[in-house]
Amino acid sequence: MEFSGARAVHVTQGDVRRLCEFLYRRTGMSFDNNKRYYIDRRLAERIAATHSGSFQSYFAMLRSDAEHEIEHLINAFTVNETYFYREDHQLRCMTSHLLSTLLQRRKTGDPIRIWSIPCSTGEEPYSIAIWLMENWSEVDNHNIEIVASDIDSRALNSAAEGFYGARALMRLSRQLVDRYFAPVDEGRVRIDPGLRESVQFTRANLIDPQDMARYRDFDIVFCRNVLIYFDDASRRLAAENLYDCLRPGGYICLGHSETMSRISSLFSVCRFPEAIVYQRPEAKHV
Amino acid sequence: MSESDKRLGRARVRILIVDDSSLVRLYCRDVLESAGFEVDQAINGIEAIEKVLAQTFDLVIVDVNMPRMDGFSFLRALRASAKDAASLPALVITTEAGKQDREDARAAGASYYLLKPVSEYDLVRHVAVLTGTLP
Amino acid sequence: MPFIKRAPFAERTNAESANGLTRHLSELNSPDAEIRWHAARALGGFAPAVPALAVALEAEKVPHVREAMMTALMRVGDEASVRALLPYLRSQDAHLRAAAIEALQALPEAVAPFMEALLGDTDADVRILATELARNMPPEDAARALCSLLANELHPNVCAAAIEVLAEVGTRDAVPALEACAQRFSNTPFLPFAVSATIARISSTES
Repeated sequence: MEFSGARAVHVTQGDVRRLCEFLYRRTGMSFDNNKRYYIDRRLAERIAATHSGSFQSYFAMLRSDAEHEIEHLINAFTVNETYFYREDHQLRCMTSHLLSTLLQRRKTGDPIRIWSIPCSTGEEPYSIAIWLMENWSEVDNHNIEIVASDIDSRALNSAAEGFYGARALMRLSRQLVDRYFAPVDEGRVRIDPGLRESVQFTRANLIDPQDMARYRDFDIVFCRNVLIYFDDASRRLAAENLYDCLRPGGYICLGHSETMSRISSLFSVCRFPEAIVYQRPEAKHV
Repeated sequence: MSESDKRLGRARVRILIVDDSSLVRLYCRDVLESAGFEVDQAINGIEAIEKVLAQTFDLVIVDVNMPRMDGFSFLRALRASAKDAASLPALVITTEAGKQDREDARAAGASYYLLKPVSEYDLVRHVAVLTGTLP
Repeated sequence: MPFIKRAPFAERTNAESANGLTRHLSELNSPDAEIRWHAARALGGFAPAVPALAVALEAEKVPHVREAMMTALMRVGDEASVRALLPYLRSQDAHLRAAAIEALQALPEAVAPFMEALLGDTDADVRILATELARNMPPEDAARALCSLLANELHPNVCAAAIEVLAEVGTRDAVPALEACAQRFSNTPFLPFAVSATIARISSTES
């Protein structure tokens, strides 16, 4: 039997420490000692996948983020799949705490504006809509505007069409699926037209200030699992853009592996039982 | 039951070390874990605030010069937070030697102030005093 | 359903006209912090704004507006913007120092010509911050500069800072300089530990 010549690259404990520190600095992700085997496996996979002859050449590639290797490595450590009700503890936080706080501060009649960016193929914004209807007792007393944006037009089109397979629905109960989706064919459903009509899909680029200037006065922004992939300068700019898109006192939710500590000092940390969210400071009274 | 008896009966004392240097964090962790403390880490003041709000600590050791939120800003944010965290004892470790920095540390709510490089002895002793775990 | 849609979003606005930029330049001096914030954001990446941003930054007391001005300078990223940011490495205010370092860290190429002077600065605190800037330089250049610093550096905290960055960018070639440093500071706390932890991290690698 012939092997292709890919020999396992020897990686020392010192190498792994160096990698872990780099990842921790950049992303905030940390691994305790009993995850050591897991790290070794993932690192070996990435070294092989990049055809790196040594840890050294892999690490150099990673540091320079050649071929988006940082994204590949992070994805090797996190499950970055989109599905309905993903990270629903943040949705729970929204209906249990964020909305009531936001409503205390505003004039009645203003719609509540929620933004999902990136929205990918729509699971997140539709989840927000469904969750609000299912879990917020006040939902019929307010106008709610849900905007969903992404840089990827194909994903947006797919989101607007609203077709989903079993995997996307895996966290939804049978009742929810029956209530909000209609079967289309084997293994596929389509989200109800009422919901499709309820979300406004737009194309937007987080790091383009002119693009982002069109979005203002949001109460809650879900910006999950994208900033972790940006370099420092882009994150900083995206954070400033998002700050401007929020109302004073508005909230931003990041992905489960993400933290503002690696992104920007513009926002305050708010701890709720369900989640840590970040807040644009409230307007100061002169 | 004496204080130390009570201590022996409870879970280990938890320390949060906040420093953007991985080697300082590693050093503090090694030294303090050998002395029987449980140690967690943060790289700057924002991560430290997140951890302090989410978990219980008995002491925070904090560097001054860190990106995004320096040590003094962290202490002010900590003292302003309306939780148990606000009264968390804080030991500032810093490269700064000036009197102004001592004043700044005190004004920001630090319990004590140590200059880097910190010896093992000084670190363990100050942590023990500030967490009430001196035998 | 309680969900509403507003009118469709307008097309993306184009970059500022010359009039707009002139207006933003004068708004940098507005008594209103929010106006200054928006002016700084609008001027981001606009090289002719650097002198005005530098002047405004000096006078600016509101932290998030200072950040926006530094971001605006960072987005220009030329020699003039680096010169505008460098003085803040000497600031008495830890927050300002941290903010300046963050902005400068994004500009390794523009900062590179200043590195030698920064690493040789008479102020130890500046040397410490300079080691952090070395992190984003090409690793061979960074390692060489840091080893060179270690060979002559008397201040233990500067050595500690250099060793920290070497733990990321260094290769086996840095080991002799590290060992010499540990030797020099053998009866001080922390440094021998830092050296051996760093050597463990970089020993498997060659340049």
